[in-house]
Amino acid sequence: MPEKSLFAPLIAWKNLFEKPVTIRVPNEKREASPRYRGFHVNDWNKCIGCGTCAKICPTDAIEMVEVPDMKQDYGMKPQRPVIDYGRCSFCAMCVDICTTGSLNMTREYIFVSPNPEDFRFAPTEKGFLKKEPSQIKLGWVRDENSDLLDLDRVWPEVLPAQERVTSFVEFVKAYSKEQAVAEAARCVECGICTDRCPQHMRIPEYIKAIWRDDLKDALKWLLKGLESENYLGANPLSSVCGRVCTHRCEEVCAISHRGEPIAIRWLKRYIVDSIPVEKWYETVVFERVPKGKKVAIVGSGPAGLSAAYFLATLGYEVDIYESLNRPGGVMRYGIPRYRLPDEALDRDIAFIESLGVRIYTGITVGKDIPFQKLREAYDAIFLSTGLVLGRSTKIPGSDHPDVVQALPLLREIRDFLRGDGPEPKIAKRVVVIGGGNVAMDIARSLARLQKMKYGEVNVTVTCLERTFDEMPADKEEIEEAMEEGVKIYPGWGPKEVIFYPDRDSIKGLKCVKCKEVFDENGRFNPKFDESEFCFYDGDMIVEAIGQAPDYSCLPEEWRSKLQFVGNRILTNNLRQTQIPWLFAGGDIVNGPDIIHGIADGYWAARGIDEYLRGTERP
Amino acid sequence: MMSSTNNIGLEEILSSLNQLFEGVSTEKVDPRQYKIITPPEKTIPVLEFLKEKGYSHLSILTCIDWIAEKKFELVYILFNWGTGVTFVVSTYVNRDNPIFYTVKHIWPTAEYYERDVHEFFGVKFEGNENCEKPLILELWNDLPPLRKDFDPLEYSKKHYPDREYQKDAIHEARIIRGDVRGEIDG
Amino acid sequence: MGEVKLFFGPNHPGMHGNFSVHMYVEGDIVVKARPMPGFLHRGFEKLMERRLWYQNVALIPRICVPEPDINEACYAMAIEKIARVEVPERAQWIRMIVLELARIANHLWSFGGIGGPTGMYTSMYWAVADRDRVLDIFEELSGARIYHMYIVPGGVRKDLPPKLEDKIYHLLDYLEAKIPEYETFILKNRILHTRLKGIAKIDTETCLKIGVTGIGLRATGVPYDIRKVDPYLFYDKVEFEVPTATEGDAYARISLKPKEIIQSIRIIRQCLEKMPSGPVNVKIGEGSGLRIRVPRGMAYVHVESTRGEYGYLVVSDGGEKPYRVAVRGASYPQGLYGVEHLLPGTRIDDVPIWLDSMGVCAPEIDR
Repeated sequence: MPEKSLFAPLIAWKNLFEKPVTIRVPNEKREASPRYRGFHVNDWNKCIGCGTCAKICPTDAIEMVEVPDMKQDYGMKPQRPVIDYGRCSFCAMCVDICTTGSLNMTREYIFVSPNPEDFRFAPTEKGFLKKEPSQIKLGWVRDENSDLLDLDRVWPEVLPAQERVTSFVEFVKAYSKEQAVAEAARCVECGICTDRCPQHMRIPEYIKAIWRDDLKDALKWLLKGLESENYLGANPLSSVCGRVCTHRCEEVCAISHRGEPIAIRWLKRYIVDSIPVEKWYETVVFERVPKGKKVAIVGSGPAGLSAAYFLATLGYEVDIYESLNRPGGVMRYGIPRYRLPDEALDRDIAFIESLGVRIYTGITVGKDIPFQKLREAYDAIFLSTGLVLGRSTKIPGSDHPDVVQALPLLREIRDFLRGDGPEPKIAKRVVVIGGGNVAMDIARSLARLQKMKYGEVNVTVTCLERTFDEMPADKEEIEEAMEEGVKIYPGWGPKEVIFYPDRDSIKGLKCVKCKEVFDENGRFNPKFDESEFCFYDGDMIVEAIGQAPDYSCLPEEWRSKLQFVGNRILTNNLRQTQIPWLFAGGDIVNGPDIIHGIADGYWAARGIDEYLRGTERP
Repeated sequence: MMSSTNNIGLEEILSSLNQLFEGVSTEKVDPRQYKIITPPEKTIPVLEFLKEKGYSHLSILTCIDWIAEKKFELVYILFNWGTGVTFVVSTYVNRDNPIFYTVKHIWPTAEYYERDVHEFFGVKFEGNENCEKPLILELWNDLPPLRKDFDPLEYSKKHYPDREYQKDAIHEARIIRGDVRGEIDG
Repeated sequence: MGEVKLFFGPNHPGMHGNFSVHMYVEGDIVVKARPMPGFLHRGFEKLMERRLWYQNVALIPRICVPEPDINEACYAMAIEKIARVEVPERAQWIRMIVLELARIANHLWSFGGIGGPTGMYTSMYWAVADRDRVLDIFEELSGARIYHMYIVPGGVRKDLPPKLEDKIYHLLDYLEAKIPEYETFILKNRILHTRLKGIAKIDTETCLKIGVTGIGLRATGVPYDIRKVDPYLFYDKVEFEVPTATEGDAYARISLKPKEIIQSIRIIRQCLEKMPSGPVNVKIGEGSGLRIRVPRGMAYVHVESTRGEYGYLVVSDGGEKPYRVAVRGASYPQGLYGVEHLLPGTRIDDVPIWLDSMGVCAPEIDR
């Protein structure tokens, strides 16, 4: 214990000769540390208005405010964060969770104002102190340790290419509960996906329900959407879309800017696969008041089934007429079984039928039953016959029987696999022309059949589009096809079918280099360089270059009253044609995929409802 | 700090807890932390027993509102300075008429913890004559605030004015960015 | 002379923070004293139940302003205990560095604090200036000087920035050289001797009876330190001593602070040497920061703060927010029981000495 001393304080005198520890504000400025959590900057061009910063903000200091006249694009919301520095705690969680990295903090920390209004501020590239971006020193920025997003997707079990190519078994396995909950936990609920989805499905809501392990609630969001807004966002074909949807939603997912998008499609599948279809009805009870009116639907594809579902929930009596032997259209006969097993489609259809919808299969309107008869028996008709006719390249030799079209072949393959038909011709070497999803479907189906029959895959795909990116097929379809042994050569235009000189069988396809697919107006107008050409060997050639509608069910007297855009029927927003009682949707109106068809069905149902409530049949 | 003899001591205490006090359950949180759930009538004897065995330091006495189960869980955290072992002793009392007994004769500071718990949860401690004296909240006129059914946001909306900003911050930002022309203050 | 009621509250420069004591005095002798916290009640515990697990990181440092890191550490470690998450080694060493730097900063701050009730303001100027050097390190490390929000469930938010280790070494060297000056200047100072020796005394028995921990207890000769008795992080892997004194008065408590700073310097040096490279955090749960969930459970974690045992009882019902968090403030016994039962009989001007040297901190009582 030291003695108390009178002289000890004298050591303080030596400080007289030291530099002061204080600084002379405002003449002297002290720069904050490189990690300083000062005022924000936000790059408006990078920001997508997802609002995740506002959600994580512990003090509720961030508000998302709409920006007038901001360009509306898919993948972003026209709103930007406004920060109340009266509340901000400068914790930088907004920076650490920012989905794009647009929001950062600076080393600026001095601001004085007597006016509280000055502390509410929408940060831009110029920061709080309105400096040029080059003059601003960044402070706290996110790094891999401080990141608050989970960027890595939980992958469902997928059969390896070698194994899946040997059969038509569905190769993507369903999520387990743990996987689904973990994947759902990555979502930030921005709803940018909902904006993008043609049907505006309530994606954040059902993902949150999965995360809460409330599958009944999740199923309600799928099958009923926003109940208060006429079921907007419901999807009666969730088992189908949970497998084969083109998932535009995932392309715009906020997480995709820095990581892998949320697996929205697989999560949807998880919901419907986890609840037996018999339980769906008790989970989502519809209060239907019979309207006493009847609607006929021609074609049982996505649009037709969707319209039927929504009409049935509104209390209409609905009959669907399908010319093929099974309902489902493209879902039944187009998409291969390894992507969409019949059982999944059957489940959705069973639920639609449980609402009282009747489906008459094997009846072709215009042949087995005259269109006029439908007109007489029903109060309204919804036309959703889809694109059923294949298109031909019409190159020399394409009239040979071994030059076939993808759609009929896919149908034959599916019938064969479910025991409804004979084995289609399976060539040892096949060339597929086309760069879309149908081309991938047929290529991968044939690869499987070849593997099963001959033990090896020999499928070549060629298309006009010059790169994989340009090809309209989904990226994952292209990747998976190549994994399965399909060879894909983009950038070639078919020129002629080459035959063996000595016999009437195909030797292969001659192609020329494609220089350009679209002209400066964005119209399809391919240009070729005839000097550069190549051959692809094949015993059989499949054309998968698009399909066309077939309006033969519609008598000329009605067809002449319709307006067309190209070969598509023109309708209003509620899918009403120029004939008030005739509505149309699906690929014959909009296309190009199932979810657009479902949206057509939904709007048509609302249109038909509006029409039928407004008119009494004379 | 933990010697093997202390470990044996811990084992012994845990087993004698089960032998001496019916209905007491123990659960290991980690090697130096145990949770002990006691029936209300056994809580104070257990606490006295543990104090006797070296768990003499009451770190905190607090409460948890299990509103769904209609119970308050009273938690006594005891620490042994000799072994570094913590016992989280808890018991459940009815949420409708929450009454328990004071431990201030065992730990004098408990008087204040009990006042605290009474103020924030509404649990009364018999034997603590100061139990209902306000401690932290002044002139409180609502539900005890740490109860789950007390909504602080609603309370503050009722009692305090909200502040609305007048400024259009987005418009200001667009001027700063040069997207639109205009004047800004400051 | 009659009894006079005297309000001694935050408006008084000698008061230690937003705390108040209602005193009944006869002359300058306290007859009765009633502690009155509540000036600061910000409902931390209630707020925590209404914030996401991660969001609370921004709230909890405020429970103890001069030493915020203990809150972050207790909260994070309690969650990790419930979730049974193993924190990477490097993060644990970094946490120790942070906690010990905070200890140094807070001890320096309390040198400043003692200037108020004793009237020796020079110590305040010195100590606060030196504390700022520690805050400089915190600023480089965490981006903020006071509310670091740096220790998070699962580890720490960022790795050490480049060259910070050198700066810490430099600071430690500086402080080590400075501490003897403090001892000479402050502890040998006549004012302090007069104002602190024999004042605000407490004995071991009372400390243990009412639950006083930390320096208050150690100044009575008992070497109880949670870092030794119930070691958390890697305190069992570093060498340090627990300084004690025997007098149990305010002077003994103040005189332990420079000794503790020396031990903290020792600990930090060992941390810097032993710290491996590697990751600095792990995920507590799946998903984004918005959707962290902690499994159902309850755990109590306590650390040795500059003022004694500081603990968090964290309860999770498996949801996205804490179900309940209870904070054990270090100054609860001495701030409430101590004021009411131990101050009567002392002089008015000894009351702030008690509050200050025992480290009574209002927000951790109010929480």
